Amino acid sequence: MKSLIIGEVSNGTLSSGTLEIITKAQENNLDFKLVVIGTENNPKIGSDTFEVIYVHLSPDELSLSSAADTLVDAIKTDSIELVLASSTYVGRDISGFLSVDLNSSPVANVINFEINGSTLTTTNSIDGGESEYFTNVTSDVKILIIRPKSFEASDVTLSENYTTSSVEKNDLTVNVFDVFIEEKTGPQLEDSKIVISAGRGMVDVGNLKYIEELAGKLNAAIGGTRAIVDAGWMPYSQQVGQTGKTVKPDVYIACGISGATQHQVGMKDSKYIIAINKDEEAPIFQIADLGIVGDTLNIIPKLIENL
Amino acid sequence: MKIAVCAKQIPDPAISVTYTDGKIVRPDEQVLDDTDRYGIEVALQLKEKYDAEVTVISMGKLGTQKGIQQALQMGADKALVIEDPALENSNSLMTSNILSGMAKLAQADVVIFGTESSDGYSGVVPQQVSRYLGLPCISYVKGIDISEETELTRQTIAGSEKVIMPNKCVISVTASGVEPRYPNFKDIMAAKSKEVEIVELSSLEFTAEQNQEFVEIKSISSNKSGEKHIDEGDSFNLIIERLKEIKAI
Ligand SMILES: Cc1cc2nc3c(=O)[nH]c(=O)nc-3n(C[C@H](O)[C@H](O)[C@H](O)COP(=O)(O)OP(=O)(O)OC[C@H]3O[C@@H](n4cnc5c(N)ncnc54)[C@H](O)[C@@H]3O)c2cc1C
Repeated sequence: MKSLIIGEVSNGTLSSGTLEIITKAQENNLDFKLVVIGTENNPKIGSDTFEVIYVHLSPDELSLSSAADTLVDAIKTDSIELVLASSTYVGRDISGFLSVDLNSSPVANVINFEINGSTLTTTNSIDGGESEYFTNVTSDVKILIIRPKSFEASDVTLSENYTTSSVEKNDLTVNVFDVFIEEKTGPQLEDSKIVISAGRGMVDVGNLKYIEELAGKLNAAIGGTRAIVDAGWMPYSQQVGQTGKTVKPDVYIACGISGATQHQVGMKDSKYIIAINKDEEAPIFQIADLGIVGDTLNIIPKLIENL
Repeated sequence: MKIAVCAKQIPDPAISVTYTDGKIVRPDEQVLDDTDRYGIEVALQLKEKYDAEVTVISMGKLGTQKGIQQALQMGADKALVIEDPALENSNSLMTSNILSGMAKLAQADVVIFGTESSDGYSGVVPQQVSRYLGLPCISYVKGIDISEETELTRQTIAGSEKVIMPNKCVISVTASGVEPRYPNFKDIMAAKSKEVEIVELSSLEFTAEQNQEFVEIKSISSNKSGEKHIDEGDSFNLIIERLKEIKAI
């Protein structure tokens, strides 16, 4: 199936979501081309084994809609049958734009797909990961938006070997007048080996200092539930779950988290899950490798002290 | 200024979703998707600033229309709704095709959404609608400042960025940044007499098609038989032991 991967740039290289899709594409021997969208200068995103095109946009304007125009042309010219994008801000925007021009509804939140001749079957995770939902995509062009961490990131060697293309701005472009880059310190949720997440069972925002101390000792990234993000205890960028980030660390420590299905979607594939919750019946225990029934405020300080 | 704000009625999110033949089972009484309250809040702030007219647009099983009423109670002026067997289990493109038509009927300059519905969560409908309507798309808005020119702050992967709201555009609003208002008694009473107009599918241009064929749902129950301990003051030891065993420390 002739395919086009919509890639993204992160810190001068390909984003982890892009690398994950490349793994899947190579496993399936897809005949693919990578079109990377980004605003960084001279990222190292090229390859000697597949074709890479960099659509370089200005950070000072919203011009993804123009980038979509360029992609639609490329998809039509190359008779592309399969378009793969990541479930990110950029990936969703672009896929949404493309889908109208190609009259093909994207399949979103895909965690896997299989190709059998001309049949493409997608898998979605539902019920907080308790069930999988399979559909065949029947349109000529198939657009899939892939959830992060669905595949291992590829370790392809990246080079400077790519062509840069500019886009012709359409009249839907909007100027950006203020760009704020959030400072990121310490281990990041997406790629940390240990993630410690807090829920309402930390009782008070002040107690998050324990989570920070523990994270410091274990060199871990910090996440949280929507309940505490909504309560303003933590920024949205640290939310784990259906409407937040998906993580797959070696160890996930859930502190005072009930384990709602929407939270589980974002963390249940972690290799080893430790849960601390004072309610013996909390659903988080159903997916925990080690469950401790007890008070977070007793256990975590002792844990910090003894590490 | 005229504003259309999308509102979806969804099954009570406190109860888990059930499926028949791959379709979400929708009870007669559905509620307003919480995600939409953020879009409605932004619409109402713009209404206050520009003296705009706010029309709720909604597609899907109407049932008791509880969710539509909830949207009107927040302060929207009227509603345009559509239900048709041909739209059952619509994919995102069918949905956005219809919502674009309804936004046109409402003569909307600005069309506002939440970022993704809680039951379908494809997260592409606002972008699609902008493309159908040929309007700029300001997605993932997490803040609005109406004190002077209307400024919108967008969430980005790296942080955030600000734009001045164009006169005509499509906006999607994330679940943070604005605080959706609670209706007061007066608003609740007033909502009952607001106009809810039912739109016929034949009055809209509808070109999108279904492109997903349901295959099956497989249960992969991932319940682990992990170990569970009642804390007696020393469980920190057990945690440390296990972390060592799996070589995490
Ligand atoms: C459409 C939709 C999308 C959503 N997306 C997300 C998402 O992306 N991420 C997400 O996390 N949620 C999401 N949610 C919300 C989710 O349903 C839950 O409401 C949320 O995850 C609960 O957070 P919590 O576990 O912190 O709080 P609660 O459910 O209130 O749980 C708190 C837990 O702490 C325990 N506890 C209390 N005190 C202590 C103590 N002293 N010691 C030990 N334990 C204690 C309690 O027993 C309880 O189990 C979404 C919901 C919807 C409807």
